[in-house]
Amino acid sequence: MFKSVFLLFVLVAAFNNNTHGQIFYTKNGSISFFSKTIVEDIDAKNNQVISVINFQTGTIQFSLLNNGFRFPKAKMEEDFKANYMETDKYPRSTFKGVISDISNVNFSKDDAYKVNVKGSLSIHGVTKEIEVPGVIIVKNGTISAQTEFNVLVEDYKISVPSIVSNKIARSIQIIVNCHYEKK
Amino acid sequence: MSKVTKRFIFFFSIGILLIAVIVTYNIWNQHHEDIQNAEARSMTAVQLYKSLSEGSEEIKSILINQVINVSGEINQVIKNQKGQQVILLKTGTSGGSVNCTMEEEVMNIKEGDVVILKGVCIGYISGDPEIDLPGDVFLIRCYRSS
Repeated sequence: MFKSVFLLFVLVAAFNNNTHGQIFYTKNGSISFFSKTIVEDIDAKNNQVISVINFQTGTIQFSLLNNGFRFPKAKMEEDFKANYMETDKYPRSTFKGVISDISNVNFSKDDAYKVNVKGSLSIHGVTKEIEVPGVIIVKNGTISAQTEFNVLVEDYKISVPSIVSNKIARSIQIIVNCHYEKK
Repeated sequence: MSKVTKRFIFFFSIGILLIAVIVTYNIWNQHHEDIQNAEARSMTAVQLYKSLSEGSEEIKSILINQVINVSGEINQVIKNQKGQQVILLKTGTSGGSVNCTMEEEVMNIKEGDVVILKGVCIGYISGDPEIDLPGDVFLIRCYRSS
């Protein structure tokens, strides 16, 4: 009887320690974007990204405040907030989606696992379905997620005045890099 | 038109063009606001969190994008993945913090210390109620204030 109870206890403990079926989150994830033109390269970073991954369901979500992006130049930052992203009107950007091949990730083995993420990206009041490749990195029991993809400025109804159109790329590279902790 | 008038117009135009280039250059390259010496509204972490997580849109619009002196008890000191120090202040909501990304690392601080931090308030992000994860209020470009 004692052996059975002990075995049950060990099985429950092992299940709880298995990261599969667990929730991971960060409140200081990093998302940056990069615009490259002949005239100027623009690189902005936001290190206040809230992200949650549920490894049982494969759901993943990101949320950030658009006015948290930091630019090397004050004028760039001011224009980004007031003219392009209209942060007073559209304060947040979000992504909600599903990691389609989460079962390929072995959480007990350190490695970089290629995955596909599909979901809704909302920027500037416009929501679009996107599908992007990503990488889940398992290392010493910690989880990181990385992806890079491009969005078209016009897809999200961000208007760029013609006077500065040569300084801002039509296609913006988005770089996501989040380190998670267990909930 | 005389030769002298033509020359005057030519040099005047060059002068105007030069001024326009200098003004544009200066505007484009102006520095970020000096947070340490900026005027700031003072409030506690508990007040700030409550104002942004539960307050009216009017209160939020007064606080967001403003420099704030926020005082509170340290819940946790962490590093973000860029290596910047992040100080989490207690808010009275378990798991919900005033999340301050520091511009300069503050030495010799620990959980339980009461500090005043000065930075730009960018707003509140709600967490995920389904998994009982409260949101945070975020301050960036933070310095320790005396």
